[in-house]
Order: sequence, then C-alpha cells, then structure tokens
Amino acid sequence: MEFKVRAYRFNPETDEKPYYKEYTVEDYPGMTVLNALIKIKSELDGTLSFRRSCRSAICGSCAMKINGITKLACKTQVSLEIDKFGIINVEPLANMPVIRDLIVDQEVFFDKIKAIKPYLLGQREDDAHNRFKTLKEGEKISQPVYDKSEFKNLTGNEDTPNCILCECCYSECGGVVGNKDYLGPAALAKLYRYAEDPRDNDKNGSRLVNGSMPNGFWDCVHCQACEQFCPKGISPVKSIVRLHEKSIKNSITFSPGSKHVVSIARSIGETGRLDEIKVAFESGGVTGLLNDLPVAFGAGLKGKIPPLRLKLIKDMEDIRLAYKELDLEDKL
Amino acid sequence: MITYAYYPGCVAQESGKELDNATKFIAGRLGINLIPMPEASCCGGGVIDGFDKNLKLFINGRTLALAEKEGLDIMTICNTCTLTLSEVNEELINNPESLEKTNEYLAKIGLKYTGKVKVKHILYAVRDDIGFDKLKEKAVKSLKGIKIAPFYGCHILRPSSAVKFDDVENPQGFEELIKALGGEPVSYARRTKCCGFQTILVNESTSTSLAGNAIYEAQEKNADAMVTPCPLCHLSLDTYQTVAAKNINKKLSLPILHVPQLIGIALGADYAEMGFSRHNVSLRGLMAKVRQNDI
Repeated sequence: MEFKVRAYRFNPETDEKPYYKEYTVEDYPGMTVLNALIKIKSELDGTLSFRRSCRSAICGSCAMKINGITKLACKTQVSLEIDKFGIINVEPLANMPVIRDLIVDQEVFFDKIKAIKPYLLGQREDDAHNRFKTLKEGEKISQPVYDKSEFKNLTGNEDTPNCILCECCYSECGGVVGNKDYLGPAALAKLYRYAEDPRDNDKNGSRLVNGSMPNGFWDCVHCQACEQFCPKGISPVKSIVRLHEKSIKNSITFSPGSKHVVSIARSIGETGRLDEIKVAFESGGVTGLLNDLPVAFGAGLKGKIPPLRLKLIKDMEDIRLAYKELDLEDKL
Repeated sequence: MITYAYYPGCVAQESGKELDNATKFIAGRLGINLIPMPEASCCGGGVIDGFDKNLKLFINGRTLALAEKEGLDIMTICNTCTLTLSEVNEELINNPESLEKTNEYLAKIGLKYTGKVKVKHILYAVRDDIGFDKLKEKAVKSLKGIKIAPFYGCHILRPSSAVKFDDVENPQGFEELIKALGGEPVSYARRTKCCGFQTILVNESTSTSLAGNAIYEAQEKNADAMVTPCPLCHLSLDTYQTVAAKNINKKLSLPILHVPQLIGIALGADYAEMGFSRHNVSLRGLMAKVRQNDI
C-alpha cells in the first residue's frame, strides 16, 4: 500500500520560512514512521534531516511530532497512523528552536535538567556509608538503601529512573508553552527522583525550596500531557504532585502555588466546598487580589460573583472525620 | 427516562451558576432525571493530592459510595471533577490496598464502596445514553451556518488510563455533537490543549497566554463561538478573556459557551434561560443568528 508522508522542512541557511514537502512511500507490514523516514532519506531525498539511533525506543533520539502528537518515530506504526489520520504528518518537537527540518536545539532542555542538580548531593556520614570505606577487595557490597521503601518506589518499570530524555513530555507540556522558563516535566520528575533518594544528603531541603521558586514545580498546569504522551509510561505530573505533597508536609509553603493548594484543602475541611473568593485571596494575597480586581469587578457587574458565605455540605462531619483520620488538621 | 446522581462540582454552584441552570434546563427537555447529592464534597479541584493523596481517595471515595448506595451512576459537568472522580474510581477498583484503606474510613460514616459506579461527563452522557438522534428530534433551532470551535481542554481526555470517553489523539465526540445540532465544527490545533486554569491564581501570565492563544487560533479560523465542557476552562476563556487579550497582545472577542448552553439554544432556550448575561463576552450576535434558524 502506498501512503503519503508530509514532512516539515526548514533550512535556515537557504529557506526564508518553513514549508512542507510530500513524499509517497510504499508500506510493508510492521513499518514504523522511522523506517519510512529512513526510506525517504535513502531513496527519495537525502536532504531530509532527522535524529535517530537505536530504533528500539531506548535512546530517545527520534522523538518528533507525528500527526500533531509527540512520539518516538521508531515506536510508531505507520499502519495505525494511516488508519486514524490517512497521512503521516511529521514536524519537529515543540518548545525548542528548529536547527534544520526535524532536528531541534536541545540546549534549553538539558540546561533545565542540569538546573535541578541531577546527582546525589553531599556525602552521607552515617554508619552505612562509612562501611564502604573499610571494604576489602572482592568483598560483597551490601547497600541497605535498596531495601528502603522510598528507593523501591523509584525502581518500578514505569518510574522516573526509566526516563530516556527523549523530550516528548517537554514538547507536549502546556506549562512550557505558556512560560518558556518553566523547568518542565522531565527535569521536575528527575528532581523528585533525587528528592526521594535516601542516599541524597540534602540536609536543608534545598531541592524542595529551589523547586518551589518561580518556574519550578508549582507552575505545572496539570494538563496531564506528560503522562499521556511519555513513550516509557512514566508520569512526570504524578512526580510533580508528590513534590507538592512533600513540600507541604515539610512546611515549605512560601510559594503562591503551595498557598493555593493548602487554601483549597482548608476550604474543603471547613465547608466541604471550594470557596472561590477565599482561595483567590489566600493564594495571591493582597497583591494577587489587587491584580485580579478588574476581572472580579467585571464579573461582578455581570452577576458572576460566588456567594460570600458558603453553606456547609450535608453531613459535613464526614469530611472532618477524613481530615482527622489522616492527621491533617494541623496542616490547615 | 435515565437517572443519574448529579455532581455539578463547586464552580457550577458558585460563580458558574449559569452552567448548573443550563444543565437542569436541558435535563428536563431530554428526559434526564438528576438526583441531587447534597452530601457530596468538592473533589479537590485537581490539586488536592498535592496536599495529601489519601485525602483525595477518602473524599472522592465517599462521593462514589454515596452514588453506589443509591444504585446510580454519576453525571458530571466539569472536566476536573470528571478526572478526579474517575482517577479515584480506577484506583479503588484496581488497587485492593487503596480500596481497603478507603473502606475503613467509609465504614466509620456508614458507607461502603465496591466499584460499581460509572462517572460520566454530560457531553458523553448525551452521546451514549440519550443519543444524538434523540437530540436532533428534540431540537427546535438549528445551528446551521454557525461555526463552533470545540475546546475539549485536558481532563476530559487525559490521562486516558482514567478518562476513557474518546480517542485521546483525535477525539470526535464534541464535533459529532456540533454536527448533530446542525453547526459546523471548527478544526484547530489547540482544541485539545490546556486552558491554563490550574495556574490562574499562581502564574496568571502562563495561564492567560494558553487561553488567549487558543481563542485567537479559533478566531483566525472564523469561529462564531467556542464551546467548553468545563466551567474552569470557561473562567479562563471567558471571564479572563480581556486579560488574555492584553497578555498576548491580540484583539479577542469570542463568545464562550458551556456544553449544556449549546444544547440548550438548540432546544429553544432563550438568552435569560441560559444565563448569557453572566458571560464576559456578549452572545447577542450569536443568538441573533440562531433565532433565524427555525427547524
């Protein structure tokens, strides 16, 4: 069966602006989008540029937009795309500048990975660590860290250490679309991985404090795209939410994002409902309120104002009991 | 007549009251019996697990158990409520440890959950349980000649491990609804992207640039209106539209409808019945077009 590949083309040295070029390719059973691109490059047009290496969904090089969604070309079957879209439309990853055709400049992405300090901080000086210093040649190394639950949580098949840095999540991230300085899902999932590692010697909680700064984990828009489109089944957004939880449990609540979450939890604990006015005030403080005043005033003129005092839900004591059972009352 | 436990969520009972009213209007016309849930709490606004993941399980497990006690499925009208209740439902169905822990709490308040409840958003409840053919029968106004941009947002589609109504890569439920009502769905790239609401009180610039660019793209495709299945998206797209326009430095003026309002105008509801006076961007122009389209 013949099918069409419509490829984004742009060579900044010769092209004024990007354009699309169509190729007709002959299908074979099991053909991947990467197979199709390699066939185009070797048989039809040697100038088409794209990254590729392992062809086994492990190196992450061939990530690109395929019919509008970021995927690994080597993991994407041509037949399934043709069934759904009738064409293979390939474009470079989003949220990064294009170098040529389907190749993007990854520098910003890797700068953000470096920014979260993707290595163990300091050196532990506890007994378990000191034992390593006295090991004799050939002696079996026993690392008690592997038995700790935090570490076990990080070693599942779909967990953050399996990230291949392919940038699929970064390309789909709504937070980065809205704010190019936002660290993005891959870096923040890695931050969580180190924040949870019991070998990490982050004595003063610097990971959580730095991650709570502007452009950090409170700027996640919760669009769920990183989880949905990760080719390795990792959920960066769930790691980000765990960072939120860990920060609040450690009383690192100086950011508007943490105030927002605590305020919602407080509102539910008090009324069973989300108190829109109170949450707006508690999240942004006086500055936030002044900033939102024109919007609130405009909405008020239209009668779109939430009630100033909310009626409690029926059986409110059930909700209070949930907070009590989970020892959350002092966190409000 | 089909009966649901009705979970409107908080915003539709507060600043987005017009959505609750429009839902009740179309439920009456389409023969949907909505049983109120006065005991149900807020779902946690999509962020409560950032406070405590077990609290998310407990309060939403309670809501699911309340519906199960009545033998009813839940109908939602908000994307984020839909996702939160669906995620908790999946967790309780698939993780015996979570179910046991949640049921220990529920037992203390006289409830139990066994995983029988389905959570349905009104968009897909109308498609699957009422049917677009019945909707066509009941319609008295056509949306013929009106270009409508469907804005799915995030939580009605993603993650597809929890919300399973549509094809996450190429959803069509919204387009099918618009066509069934005689309208013309506008195709645009940002239809499944984020409105930015979750950071509107945290990072307004990020939030409004996402909403603003989606509106701008739909406007550039000559949309007469945009429709959203979520009152949170509606706040971003309509209430904050003026701020979004300023942020992205573009002229924006696109009316934003809730799903039940779109259905409502096809069923003959007037301006007041749909609460259009509560919108930031006027719908008078759109309604003038609809008024000429008697079936």
